[in-house]
Amino acid sequence: MAKIGLIFNGVWSHYALATAPKYRDLYELLYVHDLTAEAVRDLDALAIPFQSNQAVLTEKKDIIYDFLAAGKKVFLEGDSSTAWLDAQWEDRPVNNYWWVTDPTNPPVSDTNYDHPVYQGLTPRQACWHTHGVYTSVPAGAEILQTNAEGDVITWQTNRYGGTLLATTLDPIVEHGVQQITHLDNYVDRLTEWLSGVRPEAGRMTIDAAAYGVGAAG
Amino acid sequence: MLQALLISNGLQGLDKYYVSSDLMQYTTCLITKDFDPDLMPYDLLVVPNGSDHVAMLKIKDKVRAFLNAGRALVCCDGFFTAWVPGNQWRMDNSRRTMDVLYAPGTDRHHLLDNLNLDELNYSHGMTGWWACGYIEAAPGADVLLADTWQRPIVVLDEVSTAGRMLLTASGPLADVTYAGQSDSALVALYRNFIQLLTFSIVPAHG
Repeated sequence: MAKIGLIFNGVWSHYALATAPKYRDLYELLYVHDLTAEAVRDLDALAIPFQSNQAVLTEKKDIIYDFLAAGKKVFLEGDSSTAWLDAQWEDRPVNNYWWVTDPTNPPVSDTNYDHPVYQGLTPRQACWHTHGVYTSVPAGAEILQTNAEGDVITWQTNRYGGTLLATTLDPIVEHGVQQITHLDNYVDRLTEWLSGVRPEAGRMTIDAAAYGVGAAG
Repeated sequence: MLQALLISNGLQGLDKYYVSSDLMQYTTCLITKDFDPDLMPYDLLVVPNGSDHVAMLKIKDKVRAFLNAGRALVCCDGFFTAWVPGNQWRMDNSRRTMDVLYAPGTDRHHLLDNLNLDELNYSHGMTGWWACGYIEAAPGADVLLADTWQRPIVVLDEVSTAGRMLLTASGPLADVTYAGQSDSALVALYRNFIQLLTFSIVPAHG
């Protein structure tokens, strides 16, 4: 039975991850336009990926905060609107090729590897690229990753009841895209932290039957 | 001037990639729960990278009717649901991205003119950065670009409907030139298609 609701904006990378054999029993796609409190009631966690519909999420923010108030976990990645989040996100140019052009200067300079999602990761597995930064976060939030300028990349707070983990990394989208081949390491740890279940070891595969006429509409 | 309907599912920055010009006027259609746009006032339907293919599946019959009225579609995304007439995108990660190279195929309308293929093949010396997966192309459609394993990556389909479709296997395209810079391959391919739409009617309507 799925434990993690993946808020779904109809984007193919979201779909690719949630229908991959190693993840499909743990993630349930929740189409953002059909998102209700009833749909998330029996889940342990929500994952809000990069390329989400932030305007609709703002309309439905009570569902997210009520979910947190029930003591559950929410993971938020990529860009995010301050309209529903008590934090300030700002855009920055995405650097996909720092590891080619300037490998000693990654987009994340400091990581708390004691956090369960980051335990055992190498620096390359803990950062590939970032989509902007947080210039302010909720009071008392724990800072987990920063860049060389001191801007916040990843933070976590318990002030809403459960745990909200936010990052400008985009592990769900990029793992769905499958152009970065080491992301099983991050996403498997993230999935275990969210659900309590570690996905089967090994590289993510694709189920061809999930595409085309077999795709859930 | 052509009129285009740009489908948006609320992604940040989409308007920066499709900018109206003397050739094209863009109208953005924001997807809502009751998504059901009137396509017929437009010449071109643009479904950009990162789109909502659940919503597109809901209007697949409208899309087919729009195309059968001689109109055009650009979809430069992973269309995982079955809404594009005659063609289907498939995700695949069984091949190494470092082995991906695109090669030109049939190009009767010169859509690859002025396109530097190296820009699609390499970014900072790395291959496999642009498209993902491949397209199961309609029989008789033109495969403009194929990958290392001869799988269709860019398709021009003038056979499945009475209109035209330019499809990429999730390789983004754009309609914007930045401050005097030369057009990138992503823009060149798109604008060659716009030129085709502007100056050449669909053969079925000739």
